[in-house]
Amino acid sequence: MLDIEGLKVSFGEREVLKGVDIHLERGDALSIIGESGAGKTTLAMSIMGLLNGGCSGRIVLQGRDILEMEESRRREIRGDVMAMVFQNVEDALDPVYTISDQIEEAILVHHPMDKDRLRLRVDHLLIQVGLSREKGDAYPHQLSGGERQRALIAMALANDPQVLILDEPTASLDAMTKAEILGLLRESMRDRIGLVVTHDISAASRISNRMAVLYSGRILEMGDTKEVLARPLHPYTRGLLRSSPNMITTKDLQGIPGRMNPGVKGCPFHPRCTQHLDRCTRETPMLRDVGGRMIACHRGGIVPLLEVRGLCRSFGPLKAVDGVDLNLCEGETLALVGQSGSGKTTLARMIMGLTRPDSGEIRLEGEPLGARSKEFYRRVQMIYQNPRESISHRMNVAEAIMEPLDIQGLGRSREKLERVLDEVELSSDPEFLNRYSHHLSGGEAQRVAIARALILDPKLLIADEPTSALDSSVQAKILRLLMDLQERRGLAILLVTHDLALARKVSDRMAVMKDGRILEEGLTSDLLASPKHQYTRELMESASAVNDDGVLVKARRPKEGESDCIEEQSFEVCRRPGTWQRMIRWMRSS
Amino acid sequence: MHIDPLGEVFGRSTGRIGLLLLCLMVGLALFAPLLTPYSPSQRTDASAFSPPSHDHPLGTNDARQDIWTRLIYGARTSLSVAVGVALLSGLISATIGSTSAIFGGIYDRFWMRVVDAMLAIPAVIIVILVATYLQPNLMLMIVLISAMSWPGGARVIRAQTLSLKERMHVSAARTFGAGWRHILCRHILPDLGPVLLAIMIQDARAAVFMEAGLSFLGIADPSMISWGKMMQYARVFTYLDVWKWWLLPTGIALSITLVGLSLIGYSLETALDPRLKDNGRGA
Repeated sequence: MLDIEGLKVSFGEREVLKGVDIHLERGDALSIIGESGAGKTTLAMSIMGLLNGGCSGRIVLQGRDILEMEESRRREIRGDVMAMVFQNVEDALDPVYTISDQIEEAILVHHPMDKDRLRLRVDHLLIQVGLSREKGDAYPHQLSGGERQRALIAMALANDPQVLILDEPTASLDAMTKAEILGLLRESMRDRIGLVVTHDISAASRISNRMAVLYSGRILEMGDTKEVLARPLHPYTRGLLRSSPNMITTKDLQGIPGRMNPGVKGCPFHPRCTQHLDRCTRETPMLRDVGGRMIACHRGGIVPLLEVRGLCRSFGPLKAVDGVDLNLCEGETLALVGQSGSGKTTLARMIMGLTRPDSGEIRLEGEPLGARSKEFYRRVQMIYQNPRESISHRMNVAEAIMEPLDIQGLGRSREKLERVLDEVELSSDPEFLNRYSHHLSGGEAQRVAIARALILDPKLLIADEPTSALDSSVQAKILRLLMDLQERRGLAILLVTHDLALARKVSDRMAVMKDGRILEEGLTSDLLASPKHQYTRELMESASAVNDDGVLVKARRPKEGESDCIEEQSFEVCRRPGTWQRMIRWMRSS
Repeated sequence: MHIDPLGEVFGRSTGRIGLLLLCLMVGLALFAPLLTPYSPSQRTDASAFSPPSHDHPLGTNDARQDIWTRLIYGARTSLSVAVGVALLSGLISATIGSTSAIFGGIYDRFWMRVVDAMLAIPAVIIVILVATYLQPNLMLMIVLISAMSWPGGARVIRAQTLSLKERMHVSAARTFGAGWRHILCRHILPDLGPVLLAIMIQDARAAVFMEAGLSFLGIADPSMISWGKMMQYARVFTYLDVWKWWLLPTGIALSITLVGLSLIGYSLETALDPRLKDNGRGA
């Protein structure tokens, strides 16, 4: 059992680790992820007791505090009870000794034994890490990077340590070797306490069962690896995941605004956090248990912004929205996908307060909504399908953008106008400001509409088919703009669209809507990789894709009566195996 | 859709002609004192029923008053009524029509039933009956005629507002937290402008006609100088030659005013309703 309590490490003036608490049992493999400068290697080294810097706190292994021990005692433990595989494979191996010699040395230092037993043990270890006897007799410079890494692992495992620490174990390896080494490492960490320090999230996901996110010397989030990766609860974790490309997630990459600054007061992440409060600049949040996950955030992690429960709306006999439940968190994009007539626009309008729901509840940041106040509209805004119609043709650009300020009584501020025009990448010169909406191009008009929506600094933007009336190249730019705004401002976006391919590229989560009901909801990558509903598969099939003949098929809006109650008519799909095969093949290849 | 009313009116020949005729009448009315040395009720030195001469371009009437003077001062009356009714009736129509559309509910239903009732009753008869009792002067006449002509306009404005209310930019304004007052003033009324203008022109035209009619029937204020009254008196003396320069010019003046207003109204309406446009032939 390894217990780290309140570990603080400083090098002279600089405090690198600012209070780390970790508790590990046998069989736990914890990965510590973070960016450069977070303090990961410092943490690994301090557990081994290899640091010269000022350490305070306790690191308790089997009841004994490593930091309190004398160096001689620590030397006994190092390599025996706890072992480390270092980052730099080139430097960690002694060039004048063979691999077997170095492994023998690792064993002999702690457990002197006769030559035969030693030989046996070394051979056993070599087999364990997948090296042959000849490789064992070679010198380090004669081996490839992967083989050297294996040698280091053998040395670490030599005395069957209880704690195995890995520092960036696959950083210098190519992709295929990486996969093999990771497999080996996962095997090696069984029945031990494992600590993996890495910046590579996919590697961490493969070998660890628990994950801790380190930022500026503090742990911001800790929990079960799969859960942390599927549902990150801290804004930094989410930002990290969004900026790491992998083969599963479909959303475009987004970064985190700002840069890590070590000397920040209060929460270390707050200058880059899009949901920080005043409190976050003063007080440092402690790592607390929030529903099974450890999070260090004053707001309890990512704030759930919008909760919709059982919303219903009928127009005469037609049930436009029939019991809809939705959740939207701060800074994420939820795509509401469905055909025309599925009720998605009605749902969006009900959330905005333009249409009154028949029943159901809508909560914004936890408070139930009644009649919408002006305060509400400062937090939630909407952009429409037809940008030129959504701007009054009697107002020029400047008046249109400042209209919300007038209505809210916030005063016409020239700086706000220019700032918001700058954000949407439009010019602020008077010639443009005097233009009327019918003189603007589609893309410009939509940017003006977005600027107008942003001027009140909302937290949630509902985008109702914002680009379906625009050309493709303009569409790409507008969506890019929305993603940038999300990255910079932490803007949560509810994107209502019929275009599945588009939604796939810009959404974190997706909800498929049909006939007023939400059929499926979940992470976009999960939903599209394994759709549960027949209707979702139908949608995917008719989405824009390059089919087998290499021809680009543009998304067509399925006509009325085409995909009607397919669940009951599944035999229809079986009749056309060709399409099915093609679709499966397409899913596998993308 | 962006409608520019002045551009539409000026751009078409009907509009231009109408505007010209109206401006002619307005000019006569405005510059009346400059165009004649007499005052309208002044008894001149000439004898009654004298034919047109240098001093009296249209001769004199039975009370030895200069007909030309009475004609151009009568223009003032007609045009005042026209403007007054246009403004007052337009104001009432716009207010009631747009607020009914915006508020809906009982308010809307009440006012629309009022409008229905008033439209069912022939306005002319009511006006005549009321006028017979009141003998209205200019102000009262404007009020009376407005009271009967606002319902038609209100209906149209309500319909227009209902359609404007559903426009995207109105929804957008609501999503900024706009109350009905802001929406009415900045989004709906500016777009109602062209329709309102057309309604006002029509009201003005009807008002001129009605005023002339009332005066002709002799139930308006006798001290008002009105074309209708002139025609009423002139009609009595048709057996003399005097009708040529008394009845005819008055009738022509009245017609010019009415035609002018009609043409302007017509050109505005073709602008408002795209189906009436005949693709830029300027008709």
